Amino acid sequence: MDDALVRVGRALRLALLIALAVLFLIPFYLLLRNGLSSERDITSPEWTFFPAELRWGNVRELFDDTSVPFARSLLNSALIAVATTLGTVLLASLAGYGLARIPYRHANKVFYAVLGTLMVPAAVTFVPSFVLVSTLGWISTLRGLIVPTLFSAFACFVFRQYFLGFPRELEDAAQVDGLGPWRTYWLVVVPNARPVFAAVGTIVFIGAWNAFLWPLVIGQDQSAWTVQVALSSFTTAQVVRLHELFVAAAVSILPLLLVFLCFQRWIVAGVERSGID
Amino acid sequence: MSARTVDADAPVAPARAAGEGTPSARAVRRRRALWFWVFVGPFAAGLALFTYVPLLWSVALSFFDAHNTVTPTHFVGLDNYTAMLSDDAFLDSLRVFLLFTAFIVPATYVLALALALMVNRVRRARAFFRSVFFLPAACSYVVAALIWKMSIFNGVRFGLANTVLGWFGGDPVAWLSTTDPPWYWLVVVTVRLWLQAGFYMILFLAGLQRIDPVLYEAAAVDGARPGWTVLRHITLPQLRATSVAVVLLLVINAFQAFDEFYNLLSDARGYPPYARPPLVYLYYTALGQGQNLGLGSAGAVILALIIAVVTVGQARWFGLGRRDADG
Amino acid sequence: MTITRRALLAATAAAGGGLLAACGSNTGRGDGGGGSGPALSQWYHQYGEAGTEQAVKRYAAAYQKAHVTVQWRPGNYDQQTAAALLTDSGPDVFEVNGPTLDQIQGGQVVDLTDLLAGVKDDFNPAVLTPKTHDGKIWGIPQVIDMQMLYYRKSLLKDAGLQPPATLDALVDAAGKLTTKKVKGLFLGNDGGAGVLGGTPLYAAGLQLVTDDGKVGFDDPAAARALGKLHRLYAGKSLLLGAPADWSDPSAFVQGLTAMQWSGLWALPQVQKELGDDFGVLPFPADGPAGRPAVPVGAYAAAVSARSRHKEAAKEYVKWLWVERTDDQEDFALSYGFHIPARLSLAKKAAKLRTGAAADAVRFTTDHGYAQPLLWTPAAQTAYQDALSRIIKDGADPDSQLKTVVRKVSAELDRVKKAS
Repeated sequence: MDDALVRVGRALRLALLIALAVLFLIPFYLLLRNGLSSERDITSPEWTFFPAELRWGNVRELFDDTSVPFARSLLNSALIAVATTLGTVLLASLAGYGLARIPYRHANKVFYAVLGTLMVPAAVTFVPSFVLVSTLGWISTLRGLIVPTLFSAFACFVFRQYFLGFPRELEDAAQVDGLGPWRTYWLVVVPNARPVFAAVGTIVFIGAWNAFLWPLVIGQDQSAWTVQVALSSFTTAQVVRLHELFVAAAVSILPLLLVFLCFQRWIVAGVERSGID
Repeated sequence: MSARTVDADAPVAPARAAGEGTPSARAVRRRRALWFWVFVGPFAAGLALFTYVPLLWSVALSFFDAHNTVTPTHFVGLDNYTAMLSDDAFLDSLRVFLLFTAFIVPATYVLALALALMVNRVRRARAFFRSVFFLPAACSYVVAALIWKMSIFNGVRFGLANTVLGWFGGDPVAWLSTTDPPWYWLVVVTVRLWLQAGFYMILFLAGLQRIDPVLYEAAAVDGARPGWTVLRHITLPQLRATSVAVVLLLVINAFQAFDEFYNLLSDARGYPPYARPPLVYLYYTALGQGQNLGLGSAGAVILALIIAVVTVGQARWFGLGRRDADG
Repeated sequence: MTITRRALLAATAAAGGGLLAACGSNTGRGDGGGGSGPALSQWYHQYGEAGTEQAVKRYAAAYQKAHVTVQWRPGNYDQQTAAALLTDSGPDVFEVNGPTLDQIQGGQVVDLTDLLAGVKDDFNPAVLTPKTHDGKIWGIPQVIDMQMLYYRKSLLKDAGLQPPATLDALVDAAGKLTTKKVKGLFLGNDGGAGVLGGTPLYAAGLQLVTDDGKVGFDDPAAARALGKLHRLYAGKSLLLGAPADWSDPSAFVQGLTAMQWSGLWALPQVQKELGDDFGVLPFPADGPAGRPAVPVGAYAAAVSARSRHKEAAKEYVKWLWVERTDDQEDFALSYGFHIPARLSLAKKAAKLRTGAAADAVRFTTDHGYAQPLLWTPAAQTAYQDALSRIIKDGADPDSQLKTVVRKVSAELDRVKKAS
């Protein structure tokens, strides 16, 4: 009796999971369906689950469109996302380690100053930041798109929490071996903290790839457009090109999905051992 | 955001042990300060330049009449603040935020926890399910809003939602344009749920992994049936720390809501007066052709203060900082 | 554990190395004109019509006295220009759906009055007036855009309806044209609050701001006209939530709606898809003092006060938007559909002499109104919010308008004090 009940419960749970999984996948399916349809098929009054013909030519059309430098924007996004990720992780991990491990009288004050910025919405500082960056002459440069975003309080906070829980014995041993803080950090701490680097790195990478408002305003020249800006250019003031918009959106999330699937294991491991919770 | 943010893990304490006042102690202190700044300095300098300078600049602007300028000369004291606090549209936007939070925080919490519990218990294809629910977290709000607005919840008969309604004989609904009943909430809430539930599910999964299996075995010995009783008396209490962090993160994120609202509801002519959260309202006040930077900054400062008060209050309420002390 | 100079150097180098690696190089400026002389950057918002971008780049390339770089901006153009004008890295020359009064009073744009010496009368006064403040001209109108009502002749005929000549008739027709598959009228996905703006007020014989700078709709006729818009919404005869908004004729040509409010720019596409099966109308009059109304507007070329080459920029604007009448004609008529801002060019244009295009020109001349310069963005927001509540929530028009009148009066006082 009981066994049967348990088995029914288990089957129900599996069914529910599958149903939810299908629901979660529908938007991805729509992205593909619309991206590979003709304009007419997308707006056809009769719903079809699969377009009459899959128009892979849409992808070609997207890259051939001379009015939107889509390939260039993909390259820009990749450059920016990689550079932002490396820079952010480097700066934030050093700072997080210093805050967690180096005894210094004002360490807590510095930490609260970092933490406080988490509560300030970016829109608050948007206009002055823009003016600042433009004063530096960084408009339409990769520098302007990258450097101001490198100092992530969130990343620093996660690293600090992680390093607080890092086993002190390892560092003590390193000190006995005569290593200073700098070499201890690089030779002992970093190699043993890979999950948190992967977790923070992935989160930063996603954020950098998906950023919209800052690249839109800083990347004024077409040669500095990111993929999100290029995407928004398909909804022009007057006419929306639906199929091009959807195929572009599909292409734009591909690299991210790959990164995501590859690093998922690390993210989970990083979250488990970091102080995100 | 976490228990450990507030506690004094006290990197300070060991310094005192070295004994104060003696020349060698001072040298040790100086050396530590130097090392501290080697590690923290580059980050702190960047944060100061790219966050604190603009922040203080904004605060300064909020005391000036700053139409179309960032270097205003006309000091107006607290006028911008009184104007903002007596502006019904701004107060409305705060109400929208409250309502949105009241929806999204419990909804995400329950969905993420349910997903985590189910994925944790499932025997086959666990990695598959985890990936599927986590995958949307890689999507941008721009892309998600596009799918929601143009394909799922558009108001005409070929939208997915309306097609499904049509199978059951329902009339098409203009989801984003209908204020009575306020269907737009369904669109706004589902898009965010889809985007973020997976991320919080991962946090819960991590929390579940840490629960000692012995607890469950003991409960089984005591005759507790797996299911609701165990969930209530073991799982949930054990997940308390995770839950607190998830709720805090959800509230902070709800405060900062901008992207999906903007991408779903704005058009070339502006933004409707409903479902307008504070950041969207401030965006139209301070940026765009509105360009009332003084008023916008005042609103932003008010908002930041509210966020700070709520976050700190929440941390106190949940008794953060006591956790580690309690054991 | 002493810090050696070398360790410190290594630390800074590593931290700096990350920065340097991240910086990369300046991506440089894009393609541009061929002239020598100072470098000027010119901004346009992203036009939807194919060929426009190539055209404006071609004009710029032909200019000899400066090196002009054209930037084509997607996304929220107003917000981008507004932010850019706060800095030195903004454009020298830019088109603007204004300039706004605050931009003029804030000294962000340059006085262009002398550029129009001798030809001022050739510019359509309807669009030149809103670019004029204190007798000075702050932007040169490029082309005139206008909006009107498109309707399907066949559908109206089937329903036994005449093209509506009054607001009541429009409400009535929209209701009768609505079937299970086709809606009667499309006023934009927000139900009309955004695109209609002040148009119903003008149709009721009122205006947004009077000539002497007072609120122009503090009148019972305003509440009456706006109240009728709610009937459209409540009667479920409005199309809402179409994938493309009012500015795109898709909904109309796809048969989702029998009538649609859209721009003149949509005309070629509508003509191509529907042939003769459509007509155009102004927004119909309401009440005894009413008259039909169509909104007209113009993007204007302006010069940023932050420009390092103000004189060169002015000279370029004069060359392109005053002297090069053939380019102006090409810009107005070859891509999409606009009315030239110059009366002499508009008269010459053969395309504007027949059919719906001729109707549109007539509406512009007879019924056109432009948003006054004193109608600031803050006033617009207050009014648009109220209009949305009236249309969708069925809010009481009288009390809503009372609030708007109060806010707009305060705003008018503010800008008058500033000037």
